[in-house]
Amino acid sequence: MRRAGSPSQKAYPMRFNDAVVGTVFLLLAGAMIAMTFTFPPFPGQKYGPSLFPRIIGGGMILCSVLLMLREWRIGGRPWITLEDWTRRPARLASFALMLAAMVFYLLASEPLGFMPTAFLIQLGLFLWFGVRPLMAVIVATVMTIAVQYFFGTLMRVPLPRGILDSVL
Amino acid sequence: MTAISTAFGLVFDPTVLAVIMGSAIFGMFVGAMPGLTATMATALLVPVTFFMAPVPALGAIVTATAMAIFAGDIPAAMLRMPGTPASAAYADESYEMTKKGQLDLCMGVNLVFSVLGGIFGVIILIVLAPVLAEVAINFSSFEYFWLACLGLTCAVFIGTGDPLKGLLSLFIGLAIGCIGIDPAAGQPRFTFGNVDLLSGINFIPTLIGMFAVSELLRGAVTMEKGGHVVAQAVGSLMTGVGGVFKKYWFNFLRGSVIGTVIGALPGAGADIAAWVSYAVSKKTSKEPEKFGTGHIEGIVDSTSANNSALGGAWIPALVFGIPGDSITAIVIGVLYMKGMNPGPSVFLQTPELIYAVFIIFILANLLMFPLGWAAIKSAKQILRVPRNILLPIILIFCIVGSYAMTNSLYGVVLMVAMGVFGWLLEEHGVPVAPLILGLVLGEMLEQNFMSSMIKADGSLIGFLSRPIAGVLGVCTIVLWAVMIWKALPFGASRAAVDAKA
Repeated sequence: MRRAGSPSQKAYPMRFNDAVVGTVFLLLAGAMIAMTFTFPPFPGQKYGPSLFPRIIGGGMILCSVLLMLREWRIGGRPWITLEDWTRRPARLASFALMLAAMVFYLLASEPLGFMPTAFLIQLGLFLWFGVRPLMAVIVATVMTIAVQYFFGTLMRVPLPRGILDSVL
Repeated sequence: MTAISTAFGLVFDPTVLAVIMGSAIFGMFVGAMPGLTATMATALLVPVTFFMAPVPALGAIVTATAMAIFAGDIPAAMLRMPGTPASAAYADESYEMTKKGQLDLCMGVNLVFSVLGGIFGVIILIVLAPVLAEVAINFSSFEYFWLACLGLTCAVFIGTGDPLKGLLSLFIGLAIGCIGIDPAAGQPRFTFGNVDLLSGINFIPTLIGMFAVSELLRGAVTMEKGGHVVAQAVGSLMTGVGGVFKKYWFNFLRGSVIGTVIGALPGAGADIAAWVSYAVSKKTSKEPEKFGTGHIEGIVDSTSANNSALGGAWIPALVFGIPGDSITAIVIGVLYMKGMNPGPSVFLQTPELIYAVFIIFILANLLMFPLGWAAIKSAKQILRVPRNILLPIILIFCIVGSYAMTNSLYGVVLMVAMGVFGWLLEEHGVPVAPLILGLVLGEMLEQNFMSSMIKADGSLIGFLSRPIAGVLGVCTIVLWAVMIWKALPFGASRAAVDAKA
C-alpha cells in the first residue's frame, strides 16, 4: 500500500541490507522445507500435505538468493544502517514504550482485568506523549469505560474482569 | 425481482442504516487524519463487524472506505499531508491551489468528482459482475488455480515498487497460510503441538498487527514532528465546479475508467489508480506546464480515479473471490469467516446479498456529498485532534479487537508478533499488502492446486487442457517469464536498484 510520497516511508530507521534479509528468509524457508519431511503422505494419493509448503519454500529460497545476489552486485552497503532516531533517546523510548504497553497488556490483563490495564496503558502513554495530566485522566477514564461497554456489554466479548470481579 | 426487493428490505433497515451512518462518520474521520489510512480504518472496523450480520458488516466496510478515500483529500489540500496514500498523487497540486487562494474550488471539485467517480465505479460493477459471474459459474479448480496465480502475480507485479521484495512478501504470506490443518488431507502443519495454532493463523489479529500496530510503532517515533496545524477557512464550495465539469468532463470519464480498471486488477488499488491517472492527465494535457502549479485538471482525473477504483476492486472480489486491493482482501477474509465462500455461486444462491452490496455502494456515494461537505466545513476541528491522544486510543482498539477474535490472549499475542514483523518488513522495503493477499488466498490456492494436481495426475498439460484455464495459464506463465527476466541481474530491475541506492 505504501507508495513514494506517503510521509512515513522516507525513514528507514534501522535497516539491514538485503543480503541479511535474504539470509534470514533463506534459513526460514530451509527450516520449513525440512519440517515437511515429517508429514505423512496423503493415503492413496501421490501428492500429500508436504507438496504445497515445499513449493512455497522453494519460491522463498529463490527470492532470497536473488536478493542476496542483487545486494552483492551493488556492494559496499554496510550490514546495518542506523537512522537518526535510534540515537535520540526520547524517540527510542517512545518506540519501546509503545511495544512495552502491548507486552504489559499480555502480562497484566488476566490478573488485573481489562479496565485497570487499559486505563494504565492509556494514562502512561498520554503522559509520556505530553498530554496534560487532567486531560489524560479524563480521556483514559472515558475511553476505558466506553470500550468496556461497547465490547464487553454490547458485543459480549469476555474481557478479563480481574480485580474488579468482586466490585462490579 | 424479488431478490432486489429483499435487498432493499435488508439495506433500509434502521439498524443497517445506523451502522452505515456511523461507519461513514468513522471513515471520514480516519481518512481525514494524516497517517491513518483507509486500510487501517477497515482493519479497525473488522472486529466490530465480526459480530454483525453479513449485510451491515459489508455496509460498514463499503461506506467507511468510500468516505476515507475522499476525506484523504481534505488535509492534502489544507496541509499538504495526504490523509490516505490514495490522495498522495495530487497533494502538492491541491496545496498549490490553496496557496493561490483556490481552496474552495479545490475542495468542491474533490467532493463532486469523488462522488461522481465513486458512482461510475459502482455502475461498472453492477453491469459487469453478473455477466462475469455467468461465465465463472462453469469454472473448475483449474481455472480457479490459474486465476489465483494470475491475481497474486499481478499484485506483486503492479502493486509494489520492488517486485522481488513483493514476491518474497507473497511467499511469506502463503507460508504463514500453511500453518494449521492442511485443507486437503487434514494433516496439522507447523503447529509445534500448539492448540491455538491448529486453527491456523487468525486473519484479523494479523491484519490489525500489520496495518495498524506497525503504523502505531512508526507513529510513536514521529510524534514530535506532528506539530500543530493551522487549517484554512472554507467558503462557498460549489462556485465554479460546474465550469470545471464542463471543461474537464472528458478527464472525469477517463479518470474513472482508469480507476475502475486499475481497481479491478488484483493488488493495485485506489492509490495506484490516482498516480496513474494523474500521470496520464499530465501527459495528454494541452497545458502540461501548468501541472504542479495548482492546476485543477490533474485533480479532476485522479480524484475521480481513486474513488472509482473502490467499486472496480469489488468486481474480481465478488465474482471470483479474488481481491482487487487490500481492502477487498479484508472483505474476502470476513466473508470466509462468516461461512460464505465468495464466488459466482453467491450470485445464484443469495443474489439479494449482491444487490444489497450494490445498493449500499450507491447509498454510500450519495451520502458522501452531505457528509463530505460537513467534513470540509469542520476540517479545522477534525485536524486539531492531537495525535498524542489518538495513538494510545487506537492501540486500545487494536488490542480489544484482536482479543475479541479469539476470546483469548492468543489474538493479542498474534497481533503484537505480526505488528513487529510487519514493521520490520516495511522498514526493509518489503511491502505487507502481498503478504495479506497470500494469507487470504493461500488456502483456496492450495485447495484448487491439490485437486487439480490429483485430477490431472501431475501433468502440466492437464492444467491447461480446458480452454479458459489454458488461456489464463498461458497468460500467467508469460507473466512469470517476464518477471524472472526482469529479476535476473542483467534485467530491468537494475534501474530500480539504482534508483533506490
